[in-house]
Amino acid sequence: MKIFRWKAVGTLAGTILVFALLSWLFLDTLVRRGIEKTGELIVGAKVELAYAHVRLGAGQLVLRGLQVANPRQPMQNLLEASDLVAAINPLPLLEKKLVIDSLIARGVRFDTPRKTSGALANPGETSSAISEQLKSWADQIRFPSFSLEGLGKAIELPPLNQDSLRTVRQARAVVQFADTARRGWEAELHAIDPRPKIDSGKALAARLHGINTRSLNVQDLAQNVQTTKATLAALTSTLDRMRKLERSVDSGVARMRAGVGGLEDARRGDYGYALGLLKLPSLEGPDISPALFGTRALEKMQAVLYWIRIAERYIPPGLTARTHDGPKRARMAGTTVLFPREHGWPQLLLRRAALDLALRGEGAAAGDYQARLTGLTTEPAIYGQPFRLSAQRTGGRVAVRDARLAGVLDHVRAPVRDSVAASVAGFALPSYDLPPLRARAGLGDGITQFSVQRRGDNIDARWLIRSTNVAWQRLADSSGATGGSRKVDDLLWRIVNGVKDVEIETQLHGALDHPSLAVRSNLGAAVTQGLRKEIGAQVAHAEQIARARVDSAVSGQVAAARQRLGSVQTDLQARIAGQRGELDAVRAELEKQLKGLTGGIGIPKLPFQR
Amino acid sequence: MLGLIKLIQDIVRSLNSQGTPGQLAAGMALGAALGLTPLLNLHNLLILAAGMLLNVSFPGFLLGWAVFVPFGFAFDPLFHAVGTVLLINTPALKPMWTVWYNTPIIPLTNFNNTVVLGSVLAWVVLYVPLYLLLRWSIKLYRERVYARLKRVRVFQVIAASKLYNWYRLFRP
Repeated sequence: MKIFRWKAVGTLAGTILVFALLSWLFLDTLVRRGIEKTGELIVGAKVELAYAHVRLGAGQLVLRGLQVANPRQPMQNLLEASDLVAAINPLPLLEKKLVIDSLIARGVRFDTPRKTSGALANPGETSSAISEQLKSWADQIRFPSFSLEGLGKAIELPPLNQDSLRTVRQARAVVQFADTARRGWEAELHAIDPRPKIDSGKALAARLHGINTRSLNVQDLAQNVQTTKATLAALTSTLDRMRKLERSVDSGVARMRAGVGGLEDARRGDYGYALGLLKLPSLEGPDISPALFGTRALEKMQAVLYWIRIAERYIPPGLTARTHDGPKRARMAGTTVLFPREHGWPQLLLRRAALDLALRGEGAAAGDYQARLTGLTTEPAIYGQPFRLSAQRTGGRVAVRDARLAGVLDHVRAPVRDSVAASVAGFALPSYDLPPLRARAGLGDGITQFSVQRRGDNIDARWLIRSTNVAWQRLADSSGATGGSRKVDDLLWRIVNGVKDVEIETQLHGALDHPSLAVRSNLGAAVTQGLRKEIGAQVAHAEQIARARVDSAVSGQVAAARQRLGSVQTDLQARIAGQRGELDAVRAELEKQLKGLTGGIGIPKLPFQR
Repeated sequence: MLGLIKLIQDIVRSLNSQGTPGQLAAGMALGAALGLTPLLNLHNLLILAAGMLLNVSFPGFLLGWAVFVPFGFAFDPLFHAVGTVLLINTPALKPMWTVWYNTPIIPLTNFNNTVVLGSVLAWVVLYVPLYLLLRWSIKLYRERVYARLKRVRVFQVIAASKLYNWYRLFRP
C-alpha cells in the first residue's frame, strides 16, 4: 500500500495558499489588534489605533491615530501620536520577536482629553496588582486635616473608634504576626529538636578526648572514625535547619521591630486625626503643608511609582526565564514562558526613535519638542545597553528659559538603576484652589523640577514647584460665615496675602514597597507660624486633650505589640541563637577530634559540610 | 451545513481513501491533534499537511478533529499542569527550551506555552494507543453494528437521503 498521496500535494499547496492569502488580507487587522492588546496589557488602560499597515517587502510598519489612555485618569490620554513609521528587521520575526531598527513619530501629544473613558473592564493582572499595592500604600498615608471650624467652640471630642486609629491597626498586625509566626517557629524548633544531638555530640567529643589513638587497633579506629563522621553528618544537617530557622526568626523580628518602630509615626498621625475631629489643625509640626498639598502630591508620586513598577515588570534585568499569561482564546490561556539567551534577539527591541512632540496650551511650555529614545527593550541584558531618553525644545509660542528631559533606565543587570530628570523654567504653573485657606493661589510663571532616582529597591524622587510672583484671590465663602468664622477667614487671608514667593516640594524616599512621603512648602510654614501666634494657645489645649484620648485608646495595643516583640527577642530568638552556637561549637570540636583520629590525614569533606 | 457536507464529499473524492479500518483509525488519531491542541499554531499546519499527504482517511481525520475538540477543552487544566512541569519545574530541560526558543520557526509553534506543549505531548504519547483502540472499535462496528444497521427500515430511508452520502464516507 502506498504511504503518500502525491495527488494531494496540489490540494495542500492550494490550502496553504489560501491560508497565506487570508493571513495577508488580515495581517493589518491582526497587527493593529496585537498592538492594542499588548499595549493594554502593559499600560493597564485602553490603547487604540486607527490604522496599521505592514509593508513586509520594505520591512516597514505604518501606524496612525495612536491613543494611549491614562490608567489613573481614564478621561485623559497619556499620549497621542498621529503618525508612526517603524523600520522592522524581518529576521527576528521568524522567532516571534520584534526588532525595530528605527521609529519616527510625528504629532505626539500628551495629556489630551478623551471623548470616552479609557478604563478597561479587566485590566491586566500586572497593572491591577501594581495599582492594588499602590492603593494600599497610599491608604496608609494619612494627611492631617486642616480646619479651623472648631475655633472658639467648646472642646468636645467624640469617642474614638479604635478601628479608625492607625496605631491600633498597626499594633494589632504586629501582635497577630508575632503570634502566628511564633507558633510556626516553635513547631519547627520542636521538630528539629537539637538538644539530643548536641548532648550526644558533646558525649562523643568527651569520649574521643579521653582516647589514646595509638592504643586503638585498626578496627576500633575505623569504628570511631565512622561514628564521628555519622554524628558530624547529623549535626551538620541539624545545623543547616537551625540556621534556616534562625534566618527566618531574624527576618520576622526585623519585621516586627519595623512595625513597632512605626507605631510612633502612626500615633502622630492619629493625633492629627483626633484634632481633625475637633475641626482644628495641628500646629505641632513645622508646617501644615501636607494638609494643604498632600493629596495632590500623593497622586503625583503614585503615578511615578506606578510607572517605575511597570518598567520593572516589563524590563527586568538578567536572563532568567520569565513567564506571562498565554494568549486569550476560547481554550485555556496557560502560561507562556520566555527563554532569553545571550547573543539572541530580545523579545522586543526599539533601537532608536525620534519623536516630534507638541505640548498643548498657550503657556510658556507649549510648543514643539523633539525627543530621542535609544535601546528600549524587554531584555536589556541581551541588548547590553541601558534605555536612554532625552527631549529638548525646538520651538514655542512664548520664550522659555529652559526645558529639558533626560532619563536612563539601566536594567542591564541587577540591581536596576533608573534616573529621570525633567526641568522646565518659565512654565505657566496651574492655579491652586486652597479651600482650607479660603484662597486661590495663581502661581503664574515659575519653575518645575522633577527627578527620580532608583537604585535597586530604593527610590528617591523630588517634585519641586517654585513661583516668585503669586497672585492671591479670595475664594467666595459659600457657608455665609459670620462673626468668629469671619474673623478666622480674615486672619487666614492676612497671612496668605503676605506670601508672594511660593515653593512646594514633595519628596519620596525609601524602600520602593513603602517609601515615605514628605510635603514641604513655605506657604504651609507661614500659615502655621501665623496661626500659632494668633490661636496657638487654644489649639495647644485642644491638642493636649486629643493626645490624651489617643494615648489612652492605643496604649493597650501598643504595649501588647512591644511585649510580643520583646518576648520573641529575649526568649525564642536568644534560645535559637544559643542552641545554634552550641551546635557550631560541638561540630568544631568533633571535627578536631576526627582530625586527631585520622592523624591529620586529609579526610575528604562530606558534600554537606561547610 | 449542506455546503459543509459537500465540501467533505469533495475532499473525499479528491483524496480518495482506501477506507480500511487502519486508515480510518490513523486519520482519526492524526485529526485528534487538531482537537486536543490549541488550533492556531504552526504544528497544526504540519499535521494538516500530514493528514492530506499520508494515505490515511481524510474524512476520518476531520472526524477525529471534531470528536476530540471537547476532550481538548476538558483536559486543558491537565495539559497546563504537564506543560508547567516541563517548561517551568524541570531545570534540566531549560537549555533545550532556550535553544528551541531562539531558533527560527520553532517559536511559531508556541511550544513555550504550557497548554500547547502539554497537549501536543499528550497527543504524541496517545497517538499509538489511540490508533489501536480506534482500529479495534471500527472493526467491531463494521462487523457487528453496521451489518445490523443496514437492515433497519429507518436506516434504509436515511440511506436514500442526502445525509446518507455523508454517512457513507465511513462505511466499509
